[in-house]
Amino acid sequence: MKKNLVVIGNGMVTGRFLDELSKFPGHNYQITVISAESSGTYNRIMLSSVLAGDAQFPEIIQKSPEWFTENQVTLRQGEAVVHVNRASKEVVTSKGNHFSYDHLVFATGSRAATIPAANQDLNNIYPFRSVGDTQKILDHADSCASAIVVGGGFLGLEAAWGLAQRGIKVTVIHRSEYILNRQLDKTASQLLQKKLELAGLHFALGTEVEAFQGDNIVQSVKLNNGSQLNCDIAIIATGITHNAELGWQIGLGGTRAIQVDPLMQTCDPNISAIGECAEIDGQTFGLVEPLWQHAKILANKLCAPDIREVNGFLDKPIATKLKISGVQLFSVGKVNANDPSNEITLLDEKAGIYRKLIIEDQKIVGAVLYGDVRSGNWYVDLMCSKTELSNANTMLLFGQEYLAA
Amino acid sequence: MNLIPVVENQEIFTTDTTCPYCGVGCGVTVSQSDTHVKVSGDQEHPANAGRLCVKGSALHETIDLEGRLLQPIVDGKSSTWNSALSKVADHFRKTIEQHGPDSVAFYLSGQLLTEDYYIANKLMKGFIGSANIDTNSRLCMASAVVAHKRAFGADAVPGCYEDLEMADVLFFVGSNAAYAHPIVFQRIAKAKKQRDIKIVVLDPRRTATCDIADLHLPLKAGTDAFFYNGLLVYLADNNKLDGKFLQDHCDGFDEALKVAREQTPTVGVAASLCDVSEMDLLAAYSYFAENDRVVSVFSQGINQSSSGVDKGNALINCHLATGKIGREGATPFSITGQPNAMGGREVGGLANQLAAHMSFEPEDIEVVQSFWNATRMATKEGLKAVDLFDAVLEGKVKAIWIMGTNPVVSMPNANKIKAALEACDMVAVSDCMADTDTTRLADVVFPATTWGEKEGTVTNSERTISLQKSFAKSPGEAKHDWQIIADFAKKLGFVEEFDYQDGSQIFAEHAALSGFKSEYSHKRAFNISQYANINKSDYQRLKPTQWPITTSKNKGTKRLFEDGKFYTENGRAKFIPITARLPKVLPHPNQFVMNTGRIRDQWHTMTRTGKASRLLSHTSEPYVQIHPDDADRLGIQELDLVECTNQDNRYLGKAKISSDQRLGELFIPMHWNSVFASNSRAGALVYDVVDPLCGQPEFKHSPVNISKYISQEQGLLLTTQALEKLPTDYWSKITLDLGNAYYFSDKESQVGWSEWATDTFSEIDDWVVLNGGDGGFRTLGFVENKLRVALLVGKPQQEIAQHHWLASQLGKHIDLEQRFTLLAGAPGDSSKDPGAIVCSCFQIGVNQIKEEINNGVSTVDALGEKLKCGTNCGSCIPELSDLLVNSQ
Repeated sequence: MKKNLVVIGNGMVTGRFLDELSKFPGHNYQITVISAESSGTYNRIMLSSVLAGDAQFPEIIQKSPEWFTENQVTLRQGEAVVHVNRASKEVVTSKGNHFSYDHLVFATGSRAATIPAANQDLNNIYPFRSVGDTQKILDHADSCASAIVVGGGFLGLEAAWGLAQRGIKVTVIHRSEYILNRQLDKTASQLLQKKLELAGLHFALGTEVEAFQGDNIVQSVKLNNGSQLNCDIAIIATGITHNAELGWQIGLGGTRAIQVDPLMQTCDPNISAIGECAEIDGQTFGLVEPLWQHAKILANKLCAPDIREVNGFLDKPIATKLKISGVQLFSVGKVNANDPSNEITLLDEKAGIYRKLIIEDQKIVGAVLYGDVRSGNWYVDLMCSKTELSNANTMLLFGQEYLAA
Repeated sequence: MNLIPVVENQEIFTTDTTCPYCGVGCGVTVSQSDTHVKVSGDQEHPANAGRLCVKGSALHETIDLEGRLLQPIVDGKSSTWNSALSKVADHFRKTIEQHGPDSVAFYLSGQLLTEDYYIANKLMKGFIGSANIDTNSRLCMASAVVAHKRAFGADAVPGCYEDLEMADVLFFVGSNAAYAHPIVFQRIAKAKKQRDIKIVVLDPRRTATCDIADLHLPLKAGTDAFFYNGLLVYLADNNKLDGKFLQDHCDGFDEALKVAREQTPTVGVAASLCDVSEMDLLAAYSYFAENDRVVSVFSQGINQSSSGVDKGNALINCHLATGKIGREGATPFSITGQPNAMGGREVGGLANQLAAHMSFEPEDIEVVQSFWNATRMATKEGLKAVDLFDAVLEGKVKAIWIMGTNPVVSMPNANKIKAALEACDMVAVSDCMADTDTTRLADVVFPATTWGEKEGTVTNSERTISLQKSFAKSPGEAKHDWQIIADFAKKLGFVEEFDYQDGSQIFAEHAALSGFKSEYSHKRAFNISQYANINKSDYQRLKPTQWPITTSKNKGTKRLFEDGKFYTENGRAKFIPITARLPKVLPHPNQFVMNTGRIRDQWHTMTRTGKASRLLSHTSEPYVQIHPDDADRLGIQELDLVECTNQDNRYLGKAKISSDQRLGELFIPMHWNSVFASNSRAGALVYDVVDPLCGQPEFKHSPVNISKYISQEQGLLLTTQALEKLPTDYWSKITLDLGNAYYFSDKESQVGWSEWATDTFSEIDDWVVLNGGDGGFRTLGFVENKLRVALLVGKPQQEIAQHHWLASQLGKHIDLEQRFTLLAGAPGDSSKDPGAIVCSCFQIGVNQIKEEINNGVSTVDALGEKLKCGTNCGSCIPELSDLLVNSQ
């Protein structure tokens, strides 16, 4: 008799996890996926493209309900898990359904963070996180003349770009002095800002929203620098909060998310957590590559613990990219060196190209590439392998083909 | 090309002229349409029969107007001919009035044409009344002149180029003909292929000339006279003398042999004095003794010495002793460095000659005075070059006019020359180029015409007088040197005496003087009186002819002394007893002996050849050649920057490590100057010790200290413009097809390069900037997306790319997205970089050649078929051979 494997959440990591499981055709699990959302498994990363009009919803669906049927995976959509009984090994959903499990997987992901601004309950203020959010924004976009986006990180910039593509005047409000401050240094950030400004975006930097203003519908925002900006729509994209509360409620540890070991197991051997809701050694994850690792590790562990050695999670430097068409950006590791003499930078202002490597103890520890991202992956390789460099560091900056072996 | 063509239609016009470089004096055929000028060897000229060397082949690349002086300059500002000439004339007149005629001087050049020379000499010696007129020929030929006069009674080269091909044994003595006289060398190399000519090279350094040598004697620097004294003894002891010739035609043999025997009684002693193996020395002696047809080609290795005259006579002694003179394939043969060193000697353009091979004896003075109707005749010898500039420094000579030469670079103790000119009240300079080390110190600069624009005669090493013809108009306000001097003479009041319409009138006067009062002609070898009445049209059709050219020998004279008669009082050749002497200043224990000389593709102080990028592609930077063991001991690696010093002077260059060099000796090229490098004037390190008989400086033997230059940063700058200097201790400039490249180094890193670049190239506001946190800095400057500046600065351990590939990008429109990669200094795929250029003619680089060798090409000829390298001037063939050998 098959064991019950229950997965909470149907985001991207679940999709990948199902794919990994399907690599073991004879596995002994009856799988049930329970999802609060009702749009199938979709590529969340592509929501920005949908907003910008570069992609349509159907194109980003990765696993339709039919796929679940064909693959004999039970899918319960629009049904949130509200409780887990670890003793009886069953979950309870918002519809009152009970599902017992032999192994339970948390893949609950994250949600948009809120900000400490007044009147966030006004209409036309949205997070930008799900298909639902995106749909709502799109529904309103046509009647909007101006928008503000709170947050100058990846998500905020992608949202702002998407709206601007629809002819809306967008202002990005960002707490730091420069946008993408976690991934870029000031120089690269300013090049990016210049480019986005040329595309029609506006920026209010080094400031925060104090309050949203309007009757029912948001009409303007008041900033803590005293200025005020009118808007027909506001999007909050300041970051995420991990959906770990359910796990914490049932006693699974963790400070920011649900704590797991490198094999993705929580303190309960029958419960694992993967994706954005998981926390390993205090680290949480938001990028695709580590999430794919989670999925693969857990699938291997569940299906073939005996026949193959399961490698635990390895925290590798991950490069980040911005999904705005025409913007090439690559960032990995450190963004600024503690000692400026460890930085090699190249700036071509007119071409909008900036490349920076940070080299400490003759090893690459960070790279910021803007405008031309050649050899980015090679830098990641050198970084991961901790390759000791010779003195020809300057030549590294031009890319792999410029450095004779 | 900015050349102003004489013709304005599309027809091709050809002009037969001669090359302005070395003393071989090759004929050059210039073909021009209104858009193009091409040069090729003159098939009809006896010197080269159609061949040209790499420098000659690039002549058309040096005739653009870039860097030319186009109007008179007074005190750094543009002026008019009238006011510039008046200023100099007034100054000369007042100085002569107050301090006498010996307070003024002319310093001339073997680059001047005979007509220019003649007029300057006439003005100074016949009308100003001083013999203070010397020339850069003092630096190269003065020893040979006096040696000839002592032995033959006249300054006359006995043989001709044909003798070099007809000899059975050829000695190259202190001559790197392969580089310095390429066409003569190629003629010999060709003759050697056809028949077994033995070739012996006497040179401390293994030069390219040794490539065709059967024997190279790397004798210790400065010991040539010991070699020849030893030879004279060997000839006597082995019964190899020509007794009849000695008896009938020579005086003084016994005394010469006696003195030689005191120094070099045996071959063993000679070998040890010369520091060569006895066996090699014996082989060389026996080549000389056993063969009837022997030619000894001698040049600067003998001449540029404090005992150069003696060395020349020691060599000539051996030819006289064996009667190897005045016959086909048997002669001593002095080969001159400059195109018209001989012409200058003929008109008397030296302080110790009067005119037309006459000296300052009373009867000669009278002859010349009466011929010239001279109003104020010089009656004694003037100051020779080194003494002349000393007198300038001491304030005895208060006004000097330098014509067509660059003594701040070329003279020994060159920093002293600089100080002398800085201190002098009136320095006038005539030059075709605006910026030279010497024009920088001038009060007045006159724009002179140059090769291609001026017309007049030159005499090459075998006494052949040829016409250099003009094929282009004078640019700007430039005038011919003879015109400038004549106008100046008129300003001084000598209107009728210097009223010439064209060069033919001057040449005819010169020819007439050479035959004037023929009762003295037994002493005067130089006689071209056949041309005394030549008219303009005959002059312009002058065929290359060897002097003497008289009514009895109207086709010229191939060889002198065929009848055994010499130009001495009694008609007999003179043996000169020689006590060989070592150089005057000897090195201290830790010092090296610096030798100077030419490199293949450059000429003199580079003012002309430096303009042709391909002539700087073979050897780009000033260098110091050093023996591997010496380099090892001093921690010097190939291409390290090294510093040579003596007294308070320094020379910076790149180390070239080669076992061609003797231990303890260095070779430094003579060409670099302050326009092309910051601290690379070889002349600065040359002691101004001279031969007491002729005043020629000892360029071939200067004790110097050498050490590795410890730089804190070094780099490469490429720019489409020319900079006067860089803010670094060392820099050297390389002319490119478009713009210039500069390599630089400094002991300190004190230049803020980013600010320097934006200040220096203030018109550029589009920069790509690379900052290595450790001090490395690179930047590119663009105007309208065309690369204008590339600057790469690195720390000592950081390698900076060579300039070749980056240089090819200069001025080009560069794709915006890719342009930052230029800062790498090389294309990403290294196989696209041709590497250091080996073949200058076809711009073939070492990487391309190695690639073909790797593809299986195994001979020089095959390389030539594939890449064309080595198939034009052929001077890279030794390097191609080396590459083949080293790659197999």
